Amino acid sequence: MKERVDYTKKYPKAVKGLIDLEKYLHQSDFDYKILGLIKVRASQINDCAFCLDMHTKEALKAGETEQRLYGLYVWRESPYYSEKERIAIEWTEVVTEISKPDEFPEELYQKARNEFSEKELLTLNMAVIAINSWNRLAKSLRTVPGSYQVK
Amino acid sequence: MSVRLDYGKVDAEAIKGIIEIEKYMFSAGFDKNLYHLVKLRASQINACAYCVDMHTKDARKAGESAQRVLCLSAWRETDFYSDRERAALAWTEALTEISQNEVSDELYQEVRNEFSEEELVTLSMGIISINAWNRLAIPFGADVGSHKA
Repeated sequence: MKERVDYTKKYPKAVKGLIDLEKYLHQSDFDYKILGLIKVRASQINDCAFCLDMHTKEALKAGETEQRLYGLYVWRESPYYSEKERIAIEWTEVVTEISKPDEFPEELYQKARNEFSEKELLTLNMAVIAINSWNRLAKSLRTVPGSYQVK
Repeated sequence: MSVRLDYGKVDAEAIKGIIEIEKYMFSAGFDKNLYHLVKLRASQINACAYCVDMHTKDARKAGESAQRVLCLSAWRETDFYSDRERAALAWTEALTEISQNEVSDELYQEVRNEFSEEELVTLSMGIISINAWNRLAIPFGADVGSHKA
């Protein structure tokens, strides 16, 4: 697989907004394990191989277990995730595939608000938006999967 | 649809990165009329009513014809749009529905015939930006129709 465009290196101004968004997420006190699950799940749905490779490596390095990453495709039937994590994963799925439902499920919003404050839910949603953005860049401009190395 | 969560009030910092992308689109000099079409097409696909209302109003105000705005969802079957616009619309659809396709080499070449590498990156960031706004307005709700061009 050959790279199409090295956008971060050649066009740093273009991706600055996304880097700023990552800084915002990094500086928030949102649960980093949930952020890791969000990034992996969205990358699975969007079939972004570079991002899937990168974020599974990152999650493992941060202490996530392999089993919880293997089970993420089938999280509804898997026992490894807390209620809070389950809602975050469901939110990630619905917002990633935003074109699918006729309308946004009110029930999901209420469930999410029972587990997250408004500010936390906004941070969660921005994390879903951020990884969806990177998925679109890496897949369409073809960043080579496997090239990412954890620092 | 009413507002569920007023994200600008809850934490204005959260959306600064996305606003930064909009500033970049402006400074990069990306064709404003084309950007209206891109934003409208993505909002149609994602079914974001607030964004459809906003970007149809903005496109008309910017001088776009009613016919080109009204027929946008069927752009492939018309000759109302230039080759460059058609390439941008095809790229918009591919990136918006990224989970459903491979973004083929054929499409990449087709778009690169119309856009330089830098322009393609800018176009992609514009598509990413409207996809982000769609993903804010739909889950958190918005006062549809309130936008004034």
